[in-house]
Amino acid sequence: MSSYWFGDVEAGGCTPAAGDPALLEARLRSIRTSPGPFVPFTWQLAVRCGAVRDRTEYIARLRELCVADAERRIREIYSQKDAELLPMVRMLDELDTVINLLSERAAEWHQVRHPSFSRKYRRIPAHNLVRTMREKSPGALGLVAGRIEDLAAARTELAKEVSARAYGVMPNTSALIGGLVAARLLSQAGGLAGLARLPASTIQVLGAKTALFAHLRTRSPSPKHGIIFQHRRVHNAPKRVRGRVARVLAGKLAIAAKIDFYRGESDRVFLEAAQKHIDTAGGEAADALDQ
Amino acid sequence: MLWINDVLVSQGDGGVYNERMLGGARVWDPYRSKLAALYYVGKGIEISADQIVLYLGAANGTTVSHVADYAECVYAVEFAPRPMQDLLEVARRRTNIVPIMADAKNPEQYAPLVEQVDLLYQDVAQPDQAAIAIRNCVFLRTGGYLILMLKTRSVDMRKDPAEVFARTIEDLQIAGLQVVESIWLMPYHSDHAAIVCTKPANGGLA
Repeated sequence: MSSYWFGDVEAGGCTPAAGDPALLEARLRSIRTSPGPFVPFTWQLAVRCGAVRDRTEYIARLRELCVADAERRIREIYSQKDAELLPMVRMLDELDTVINLLSERAAEWHQVRHPSFSRKYRRIPAHNLVRTMREKSPGALGLVAGRIEDLAAARTELAKEVSARAYGVMPNTSALIGGLVAARLLSQAGGLAGLARLPASTIQVLGAKTALFAHLRTRSPSPKHGIIFQHRRVHNAPKRVRGRVARVLAGKLAIAAKIDFYRGESDRVFLEAAQKHIDTAGGEAADALDQ
Repeated sequence: MLWINDVLVSQGDGGVYNERMLGGARVWDPYRSKLAALYYVGKGIEISADQIVLYLGAANGTTVSHVADYAECVYAVEFAPRPMQDLLEVARRRTNIVPIMADAKNPEQYAPLVEQVDLLYQDVAQPDQAAIAIRNCVFLRTGGYLILMLKTRSVDMRKDPAEVFARTIEDLQIAGLQVVESIWLMPYHSDHAAIVCTKPANGGLA
Protein backbone atom coordinates (compact mmCIF):
# COMPACT_ATOMS: atom_id res chain seq x y z
CA MET A 1 0.00 0.00 0.00
CA SER A 2 1.19 3.52 -0.79
CA SER A 3 -0.13 6.38 1.31
CA TYR A 4 -0.47 9.82 -0.24
CA TRP A 5 -1.95 12.97 1.22
CA PHE A 6 -5.26 12.38 -0.56
CA GLY A 7 -5.65 8.68 0.17
CA ASP A 8 -4.26 5.15 0.30
CA VAL A 9 -3.57 3.38 -2.97
CA GLU A 10 -3.52 -0.41 -3.20
CA ALA A 11 -3.23 -2.81 -6.07
CA GLY A 12 -6.98 -3.27 -6.15
CA GLY A 13 -8.05 0.37 -5.77
CA CYS A 14 -7.87 3.49 -3.71
CA THR A 15 -9.38 4.77 -0.49
CA PRO A 16 -9.71 8.56 -0.45
CA ALA A 17 -8.90 10.25 2.84
CA ALA A 18 -11.55 12.21 4.72
CA GLY A 19 -11.98 15.71 3.32
CA ASP A 20 -11.91 17.55 6.64
CA PRO A 21 -8.75 19.78 6.77
CA ALA A 22 -7.99 18.96 10.41
CA LEU A 23 -8.27 15.24 9.75
CA LEU A 24 -6.11 15.51 6.63
CA GLU A 25 -3.45 17.28 8.68
CA ALA A 26 -3.42 14.63 11.39
CA ARG A 27 -3.26 11.95 8.70
CA LEU A 28 -0.36 13.69 7.00
CA ARG A 29 1.59 13.72 10.25
CA SER A 30 1.18 9.97 10.68
CA ILE A 31 2.03 8.97 7.07
CA ARG A 32 5.05 11.24 7.04
CA THR A 33 6.61 9.29 9.88
CA SER A 34 5.83 5.82 8.53
CA PRO A 35 8.41 5.09 5.89
CA GLY A 36 7.35 2.80 3.07
CA PRO A 37 8.54 2.25 -0.47
CA PHE A 38 7.83 5.39 -2.43
CA VAL A 39 6.07 5.12 -5.74
CA PRO A 40 6.03 8.33 -7.81
CA PHE A 41 2.54 9.50 -8.63
CA THR A 42 0.76 12.07 -10.73
CA TRP A 43 -2.18 14.21 -9.70
CA GLN A 44 -4.56 12.23 -11.93
CA LEU A 45 -4.30 9.45 -9.37
CA ALA A 46 -6.13 11.67 -6.88
CA VAL A 47 -8.92 12.20 -9.41
CA ARG A 48 -9.21 8.48 -10.12
CA CYS A 49 -9.24 7.99 -6.37
CA GLY A 50 -12.24 10.28 -6.12
CA ALA A 51 -10.48 12.68 -3.75
CA VAL A 52 -10.62 15.71 -6.08
CA ARG A 53 -12.41 16.66 -9.29
CA ASP A 54 -9.64 18.40 -11.27
CA ARG A 55 -6.18 19.96 -11.24
CA THR A 56 -7.39 23.25 -9.75
CA GLU A 57 -9.02 21.54 -6.82
CA TYR A 58 -6.01 19.25 -6.37
CA ILE A 59 -3.58 22.16 -5.98
CA ALA A 60 -5.97 24.23 -3.89
CA ARG A 61 -6.61 21.43 -1.39
CA LEU A 62 -2.92 20.44 -1.22
CA ARG A 63 -1.88 24.05 -0.66
CA GLU A 64 -4.37 24.47 2.13
CA LEU A 65 -3.04 21.33 3.78
CA CYS A 66 0.65 22.28 3.43
CA VAL A 67 0.15 25.85 4.65
CA ALA A 68 -1.73 24.65 7.72
CA ASP A 69 0.96 22.07 8.44
CA ALA A 70 3.79 24.61 8.06
CA GLU A 71 2.00 27.14 10.28
CA ARG A 72 1.50 24.55 12.98
CA ARG A 73 5.17 23.53 12.86
CA ILE A 74 6.36 27.13 13.04
CA ARG A 75 4.12 27.74 16.06
CA GLU A 76 5.50 24.60 17.70
CA ILE A 77 9.13 25.60 17.14
CA TYR A 78 8.57 29.16 18.34
CA SER A 79 6.84 28.00 21.49
CA GLN A 80 9.90 26.05 22.62
CA LYS A 81 11.48 27.57 25.68
CA ASP A 82 14.74 28.58 24.02
CA ALA A 83 13.20 30.10 20.88
CA GLU A 84 13.18 33.70 22.10
CA LEU A 85 16.48 33.42 23.94
CA LEU A 86 18.41 33.13 20.66
CA PRO A 87 17.46 36.50 19.15
CA MET A 88 17.80 38.07 22.60
CA VAL A 89 21.43 36.99 22.99
CA ARG A 90 22.26 38.03 19.46
CA MET A 91 20.70 41.44 20.05
CA LEU A 92 22.68 41.78 23.27
CA ASP A 93 26.00 41.06 21.58
CA GLU A 94 25.13 43.38 18.72
CA LEU A 95 24.23 46.16 21.19
CA ASP A 96 27.63 45.81 22.84
CA THR A 97 29.37 46.23 19.52
CA VAL A 98 27.23 49.18 18.48
CA ILE A 99 27.54 50.99 21.81
CA ASN A 100 31.34 50.63 21.78
CA LEU A 101 31.56 51.80 18.20
CA LEU A 102 29.33 54.83 18.77
CA SER A 103 31.13 55.78 21.99
CA GLU A 104 34.45 55.57 20.20
CA ARG A 105 33.24 57.79 17.36
CA ALA A 106 31.68 60.30 19.76
CA ALA A 107 34.90 60.46 21.77
CA GLU A 108 36.89 61.23 18.63
CA TRP A 109 34.48 64.03 17.83
CA HIS A 110 34.68 65.32 21.39
CA GLN A 111 38.49 65.39 21.22
CA VAL A 112 38.40 67.60 18.14
CA ARG A 113 36.18 70.06 19.97
CA HIS A 114 38.51 70.02 23.00
CA PRO A 115 42.09 70.07 21.65
CA SER A 116 43.65 69.64 25.09
CA PHE A 117 41.44 66.68 26.06
CA SER A 118 43.00 63.27 26.47
CA ARG A 119 41.90 60.12 28.28
CA LYS A 120 45.49 59.06 28.91
CA TYR A 121 46.54 58.83 32.58
CA ARG A 122 42.98 59.62 33.68
CA ARG A 123 40.76 56.66 34.15
CA ILE A 124 37.56 57.96 32.61
CA PRO A 125 35.05 55.17 32.13
CA ALA A 126 33.37 55.39 28.74
CA HIS A 127 29.91 55.92 30.20
CA ASN A 128 31.11 58.93 32.22
CA LEU A 129 32.58 60.46 29.09
CA VAL A 130 29.32 59.87 27.24
CA ARG A 131 27.37 61.53 30.05
CA THR A 132 29.68 64.56 29.97
CA MET A 133 29.23 64.81 26.23
CA ARG A 134 25.46 64.66 26.55
CA GLU A 135 25.42 67.38 29.21
CA LYS A 136 28.06 69.71 27.80
CA SER A 137 27.97 69.29 24.03
CA PRO A 138 25.60 71.47 22.06
CA GLY A 139 23.92 70.16 18.93
CA ALA A 140 24.01 66.73 17.39
CA LEU A 141 26.92 65.38 19.48
CA GLY A 142 24.91 65.89 22.65
CA LEU A 143 21.90 64.20 21.06
CA VAL A 144 23.98 61.25 19.89
CA ALA A 145 25.53 60.90 23.36
CA GLY A 146 22.02 60.84 24.81
CA ARG A 147 21.01 58.04 22.43
CA ILE A 148 24.14 56.05 23.38
CA GLU A 149 23.05 56.30 27.01
CA ASP A 150 19.57 55.10 26.05
CA LEU A 151 21.08 52.14 24.23
CA ALA A 152 23.27 51.36 27.23
CA ALA A 153 20.20 51.40 29.49
CA ALA A 154 18.37 49.07 27.10
CA ARG A 155 21.43 46.84 27.06
CA THR A 156 21.49 46.58 30.85
CA GLU A 157 17.81 45.68 30.91
CA LEU A 158 18.26 43.11 28.14
CA ALA A 159 21.22 41.51 29.90
CA LYS A 160 19.05 41.02 32.99
CA GLU A 161 16.27 39.47 30.95
CA VAL A 162 18.67 37.18 29.08
CA SER A 163 20.22 35.98 32.30
CA ALA A 164 16.86 35.37 33.99
CA ARG A 165 15.53 33.50 30.98
CA ALA A 166 18.71 31.43 30.70
CA TYR A 167 18.27 30.24 34.29
CA GLY A 168 14.74 29.19 33.35
CA VAL A 169 15.64 27.42 30.12
CA MET A 170 18.89 25.82 31.27
CA PRO A 171 19.12 25.83 35.06
CA ASN A 172 22.11 23.48 35.33
CA THR A 173 24.31 25.10 32.70
CA SER A 174 23.48 28.55 34.10
CA ALA A 175 24.30 27.48 37.65
CA LEU A 176 27.77 26.39 36.55
CA ILE A 177 28.72 29.30 34.37
CA GLY A 178 26.16 32.07 34.88
CA GLY A 179 23.08 32.95 32.86
CA LEU A 180 24.74 35.30 30.38
CA VAL A 181 27.58 33.00 29.38
CA ALA A 182 25.19 30.04 29.28
CA ALA A 183 22.95 31.98 26.91
CA ARG A 184 25.92 32.80 24.69
CA LEU A 185 26.84 29.11 24.50
CA LEU A 186 23.25 28.38 23.53
CA SER A 187 23.34 31.00 20.82
CA GLN A 188 26.60 29.63 19.39
CA ALA A 189 25.19 26.10 19.35
CA GLY A 190 21.99 27.34 17.68
CA GLY A 191 19.65 26.12 20.40
CA LEU A 192 19.42 23.89 23.45
CA ALA A 193 18.95 20.75 21.37
CA GLY A 194 22.16 21.57 19.52
CA LEU A 195 24.10 22.39 22.69
CA ALA A 196 22.99 19.17 24.39
CA ARG A 197 24.44 17.15 21.51
CA LEU A 198 27.84 18.84 21.49
CA PRO A 199 30.85 17.04 22.93
CA ALA A 200 32.70 18.75 25.78
CA SER A 201 35.70 19.41 23.56
CA THR A 202 33.54 21.47 21.21
CA ILE A 203 31.87 23.39 24.05
CA GLN A 204 35.36 24.23 25.35
CA VAL A 205 36.28 26.11 22.16
CA LEU A 206 32.82 27.34 21.16
CA GLY A 207 33.24 30.93 20.04
CA ALA A 208 36.95 30.56 19.23
CA LYS A 209 36.33 29.76 15.58
CA THR A 210 39.17 31.85 14.17
CA ALA A 211 41.74 30.32 16.48
CA LEU A 212 40.39 26.82 15.94
CA PHE A 213 40.54 27.01 12.16
CA ALA A 214 43.98 28.63 12.32
CA HIS A 215 45.03 25.64 14.41
CA LEU A 216 43.56 23.14 11.95
CA ARG A 217 45.12 24.85 8.95
CA THR A 218 48.50 25.84 10.27
CA ARG A 219 50.69 24.74 13.14
CA SER A 220 49.44 27.33 15.61
CA PRO A 221 48.49 25.97 19.05
CA SER A 222 44.90 24.85 19.64
CA PRO A 223 42.66 27.31 21.48
CA LYS A 224 42.21 26.55 25.18
CA HIS A 225 38.85 28.25 25.54
CA GLY A 226 36.17 30.17 23.67
CA ILE A 227 33.15 31.78 25.23
CA ILE A 228 33.71 29.99 28.54
CA PHE A 229 36.75 32.23 29.05
CA GLN A 230 34.22 34.89 30.05
CA HIS A 231 33.49 32.94 33.20
CA ARG A 232 35.50 34.08 36.19
CA ARG A 233 36.73 30.59 37.07
CA VAL A 234 38.49 30.43 33.72
CA HIS A 235 39.81 33.95 33.32
CA ASN A 236 40.76 34.24 36.99
CA ALA A 237 42.68 30.97 36.95
CA PRO A 238 46.47 31.24 36.77
CA LYS A 239 47.54 31.10 33.18
CA ARG A 240 49.29 27.73 33.43
CA VAL A 241 46.18 25.90 34.63
CA ARG A 242 43.65 27.86 32.62
CA GLY A 243 43.46 25.22 29.91
CA ARG A 244 42.88 22.54 32.52
CA VAL A 245 40.10 24.50 34.23
CA ALA A 246 38.48 25.21 30.86
CA ARG A 247 38.55 21.52 29.99
CA VAL A 248 37.04 20.37 33.29
CA LEU A 249 34.41 23.10 33.17
CA ALA A 250 33.50 22.22 29.56
CA GLY A 251 33.16 18.57 30.57
CA LYS A 252 30.67 19.45 33.30
CA LEU A 253 28.85 21.90 30.99
CA ALA A 254 28.34 19.15 28.43
CA ILE A 255 26.63 17.05 31.11
CA ALA A 256 24.66 20.04 32.42
CA ALA A 257 23.36 20.88 28.93
CA LYS A 258 22.19 17.30 28.48
CA ILE A 259 20.33 17.37 31.83
CA ASP A 260 18.81 20.73 30.85
CA PHE A 261 17.60 19.46 27.50
CA TYR A 262 16.41 15.99 28.41
CA ARG A 263 15.19 16.60 31.96
CA GLY A 264 14.78 20.36 32.12
CA GLU A 265 15.18 20.80 35.85
CA SER A 266 17.95 21.69 38.25
CA ASP A 267 19.89 18.69 39.59
CA ARG A 268 21.29 19.64 42.99
CA VAL A 269 23.43 16.54 43.51
CA PHE A 270 25.07 16.89 40.12
CA LEU A 271 25.63 20.62 40.59
CA GLU A 272 27.32 20.26 43.98
CA ALA A 273 29.68 17.58 42.74
CA ALA A 274 30.41 19.48 39.53
CA GLN A 275 31.10 22.77 41.31
CA LYS A 276 33.52 21.05 43.67
CA HIS A 277 35.25 19.27 40.83
CA ILE A 278 35.73 22.48 38.85
CA ASP A 279 36.96 24.42 41.89
CA THR A 280 39.54 21.79 42.78
CA ALA A 281 40.67 21.45 39.17
CA GLY A 282 42.19 24.92 39.32
CA GLY A 283 43.49 24.66 42.89
CA GLU A 284 45.04 21.18 42.82
CA ALA A 285 46.59 21.66 39.45
CA ALA A 286 48.18 24.88 40.60
CA ASP A 287 49.52 23.15 43.74
CA ALA A 288 50.92 20.29 41.71
CA LEU A 289 52.72 22.66 39.42
CA ASP A 290 54.12 24.63 42.33
CA GLN A 291 55.88 21.59 43.83
CA MET B 1 12.97 32.80 -20.66
CA LEU B 2 11.73 36.32 -21.01
CA TRP B 3 14.28 39.08 -21.72
CA ILE B 4 13.63 42.78 -22.18
CA ASN B 5 16.69 44.55 -23.63
CA ASP B 6 19.05 41.92 -22.19
CA VAL B 7 17.42 42.12 -18.77
CA LEU B 8 15.92 38.90 -17.44
CA VAL B 9 12.36 39.37 -16.22
CA SER B 10 9.37 37.31 -15.18
CA GLN B 11 5.71 38.04 -15.75
CA GLY B 12 3.77 38.35 -12.50
CA ASP B 13 2.50 40.55 -9.69
CA GLY B 14 5.37 42.66 -8.36
CA GLY B 15 6.25 44.00 -4.94
CA VAL B 16 7.42 40.68 -3.49
CA TYR B 17 10.79 42.04 -2.34
CA ASN B 18 10.83 45.57 -3.81
CA GLU B 19 12.09 44.22 -7.10
CA ARG B 20 12.43 46.63 -10.02
CA MET B 21 9.73 46.56 -12.69
CA LEU B 22 10.44 46.83 -16.39
CA GLY B 23 7.65 47.18 -18.92
CA GLY B 24 5.20 45.67 -16.44
CA ALA B 25 7.41 42.67 -15.74
CA ARG B 26 9.51 41.84 -12.68
CA VAL B 27 13.27 42.21 -13.04
CA TRP B 28 15.05 39.02 -11.95
CA ASP B 29 18.38 40.14 -10.52
CA PRO B 30 21.33 37.76 -11.16
CA TYR B 31 23.17 39.14 -8.14
CA ARG B 32 20.33 38.16 -5.83
CA SER B 33 19.27 34.91 -7.41
CA LYS B 34 21.58 32.09 -8.46
CA LEU B 35 19.07 30.77 -10.96
CA ALA B 36 18.89 34.19 -12.65
CA ALA B 37 22.72 34.22 -12.71
CA LEU B 38 22.69 30.85 -14.49
CA TYR B 39 20.53 32.30 -17.27
CA TYR B 40 23.00 35.18 -17.60
CA VAL B 41 26.24 33.16 -17.66
CA GLY B 42 25.01 29.96 -19.27
CA LYS B 43 22.07 28.32 -20.94
CA GLY B 44 20.05 26.87 -18.09
CA ILE B 45 16.72 25.19 -18.67
CA GLU B 46 13.68 26.92 -20.13
CA ILE B 47 10.83 26.86 -17.64
CA SER B 48 7.44 26.76 -19.32
CA ALA B 49 3.85 27.19 -18.18
CA ASP B 50 3.12 23.47 -18.28
CA GLN B 51 5.98 22.43 -16.01
CA ILE B 52 5.88 21.28 -12.43
CA VAL B 53 8.92 22.20 -10.35
CA LEU B 54 10.27 20.82 -7.10
CA TYR B 55 12.32 23.53 -5.42
CA LEU B 56 14.61 22.47 -2.55
CA GLY B 57 15.95 25.19 -0.26
CA ALA B 58 13.21 27.70 -0.99
CA ALA B 59 14.43 30.14 1.71
CA ASN B 60 12.53 33.45 1.69
CA GLY B 61 10.73 32.65 -1.53
CA THR B 62 12.47 35.33 -3.58
CA THR B 63 13.66 33.09 -6.40
CA VAL B 64 10.63 30.84 -5.87
CA SER B 65 8.35 33.75 -6.78
CA HIS B 66 10.10 34.16 -10.14
CA VAL B 67 10.05 30.44 -10.86
CA ALA B 68 6.32 30.44 -10.04
CA ASP B 69 5.84 33.20 -12.64
CA TYR B 70 7.13 30.80 -15.31
CA ALA B 71 6.00 27.37 -14.13
CA GLU B 72 2.61 25.74 -13.76
CA CYS B 73 3.25 24.80 -10.14
CA VAL B 74 6.16 24.95 -7.67
CA TYR B 75 6.62 22.66 -4.68
CA ALA B 76 8.80 24.77 -2.40
CA VAL B 77 10.63 22.88 0.35
CA GLU B 78 12.20 24.79 3.24
CA PHE B 79 13.26 23.62 6.68
CA ALA B 80 14.00 26.70 8.83
CA PRO B 81 11.04 28.44 10.49
CA ARG B 82 12.09 32.06 9.93
CA PRO B 83 12.45 31.96 6.13
CA MET B 84 9.35 29.73 6.08
CA GLN B 85 7.31 32.63 7.49
CA ASP B 86 8.27 34.70 4.46
CA LEU B 87 7.73 31.82 2.07
CA LEU B 88 4.20 31.34 3.42
CA GLU B 89 3.47 35.01 2.79
CA VAL B 90 4.70 34.68 -0.81
CA ALA B 91 2.66 31.49 -1.25
CA ARG B 92 -0.49 33.23 0.02
CA ARG B 93 -0.35 35.61 -2.96
CA ARG B 94 0.86 33.10 -5.54
CA THR B 95 -1.58 30.27 -5.76
CA ASN B 96 0.71 27.97 -7.73
CA ILE B 97 3.23 27.62 -4.90
CA VAL B 98 2.85 24.70 -2.52
CA PRO B 99 5.01 25.49 0.54
CA ILE B 100 6.33 22.41 2.32
CA MET B 101 8.12 22.62 5.64
CA ALA B 102 10.51 19.71 5.60
CA ASP B 103 14.18 18.79 5.40
CA ALA B 104 15.38 18.19 1.82
CA LYS B 105 17.70 15.56 3.26
CA ASN B 106 14.68 13.38 4.03
CA PRO B 107 12.48 13.19 0.92
CA GLU B 108 10.33 10.56 2.64
CA GLN B 109 9.01 13.40 4.82
CA TYR B 110 7.29 14.97 1.83
CA ALA B 111 6.94 12.00 -0.49
CA PRO B 112 3.17 11.72 0.16
CA LEU B 113 2.81 15.36 -0.94
CA VAL B 114 4.88 15.76 -4.06
CA GLU B 115 3.78 14.46 -7.45
CA GLN B 116 6.12 13.67 -10.32
CA VAL B 117 7.94 16.82 -11.48
CA ASP B 118 9.55 18.05 -14.69
CA LEU B 119 12.28 20.08 -13.04
CA LEU B 120 14.17 19.62 -9.80
CA TYR B 121 15.93 22.73 -8.55
CA GLN B 122 18.20 22.58 -5.52
CA ASP B 123 19.90 25.38 -3.60
CA VAL B 124 20.76 24.15 -0.12
CA ALA B 125 23.69 24.96 2.17
CA GLN B 126 24.60 21.41 3.14
CA PRO B 127 27.79 19.36 2.92
CA ASP B 128 26.20 16.45 1.02
CA GLN B 129 24.53 18.39 -1.79
CA ALA B 130 25.04 15.74 -4.45
CA ALA B 131 23.55 13.02 -2.26
CA ILE B 132 20.51 15.18 -1.48
CA ALA B 133 19.92 15.85 -5.17
CA ILE B 134 20.27 12.17 -6.07
CA ARG B 135 17.87 11.14 -3.33
CA ASN B 136 15.30 13.66 -4.58
CA CYS B 137 15.54 12.44 -8.16
CA VAL B 138 12.79 9.91 -7.36
CA PHE B 139 10.34 12.77 -7.93
CA LEU B 140 11.83 13.62 -11.32
CA ARG B 141 10.23 12.14 -14.45
CA THR B 142 12.56 10.49 -16.97
CA GLY B 143 13.76 13.13 -19.37
CA GLY B 144 13.27 15.77 -16.66
CA TYR B 145 16.03 18.11 -15.53
CA LEU B 146 17.94 18.72 -12.35
CA ILE B 147 19.51 22.13 -11.70
CA LEU B 148 21.91 21.89 -8.79
CA MET B 149 23.28 25.12 -7.37
CA LEU B 150 26.49 23.99 -5.73
CA LYS B 151 27.71 26.01 -2.77
CA THR B 152 31.26 24.70 -2.70
CA ARG B 153 31.97 26.39 0.64
CA SER B 154 29.20 24.42 2.30
CA VAL B 155 30.62 21.13 1.08
CA ASP B 156 34.04 21.64 2.60
CA MET B 157 35.54 24.92 3.77
CA ARG B 158 39.08 23.63 3.42
CA LYS B 159 38.85 22.05 -0.03
CA ASP B 160 39.52 23.83 -3.27
CA PRO B 161 36.18 24.88 -4.84
CA ALA B 162 37.26 23.53 -8.24
CA GLU B 163 37.94 20.13 -6.68
CA VAL B 164 34.52 20.10 -4.98
CA PHE B 165 32.90 21.04 -8.30
CA ALA B 166 34.60 18.20 -10.21
CA ARG B 167 33.84 15.72 -7.45
CA THR B 168 30.14 16.64 -7.39
CA ILE B 169 29.80 16.24 -11.16
CA GLU B 170 31.42 12.82 -10.85
CA ASP B 171 29.02 11.80 -8.07
CA LEU B 172 26.01 12.81 -10.16
CA GLN B 173 27.29 10.85 -13.15
CA ILE B 174 27.97 7.76 -11.07
CA ALA B 175 24.36 7.98 -9.86
CA GLY B 176 23.22 7.73 -13.48
CA LEU B 177 22.48 11.35 -14.30
CA GLN B 178 23.65 12.91 -17.52
CA VAL B 179 25.36 16.26 -17.06
CA VAL B 180 24.38 18.71 -19.80
CA GLU B 181 25.86 21.91 -18.42
CA SER B 182 28.23 22.83 -15.61
CA ILE B 183 29.35 26.38 -15.09
CA TRP B 184 30.66 28.77 -12.43
CA LEU B 185 28.33 31.63 -11.55
CA MET B 186 31.06 34.26 -11.62
CA PRO B 187 30.88 37.26 -11.51
CA TYR B 188 27.47 37.16 -9.85
CA HIS B 189 28.21 34.62 -7.10
CA SER B 190 31.69 33.51 -6.07
CA ASP B 191 32.43 29.88 -5.17
CA HIS B 192 29.04 28.90 -6.54
CA ALA B 193 28.50 26.66 -9.54
CA ALA B 194 25.48 25.40 -11.43
CA ILE B 195 25.20 21.84 -12.66
CA VAL B 196 22.37 20.93 -15.04
CA CYS B 197 21.59 17.25 -15.48
CA THR B 198 18.96 15.19 -17.19
CA LYS B 199 17.50 11.92 -16.01
CA PRO B 200 17.98 9.46 -18.87
CA ALA B 201 15.27 6.98 -19.81
CA ASN B 202 17.48 3.99 -19.12
CA GLY B 203 18.75 5.70 -15.99
CA GLY B 204 20.73 3.64 -13.54
CA LEU B 205 19.30 5.70 -10.68
CA ALA B 206 18.85 3.59 -7.62
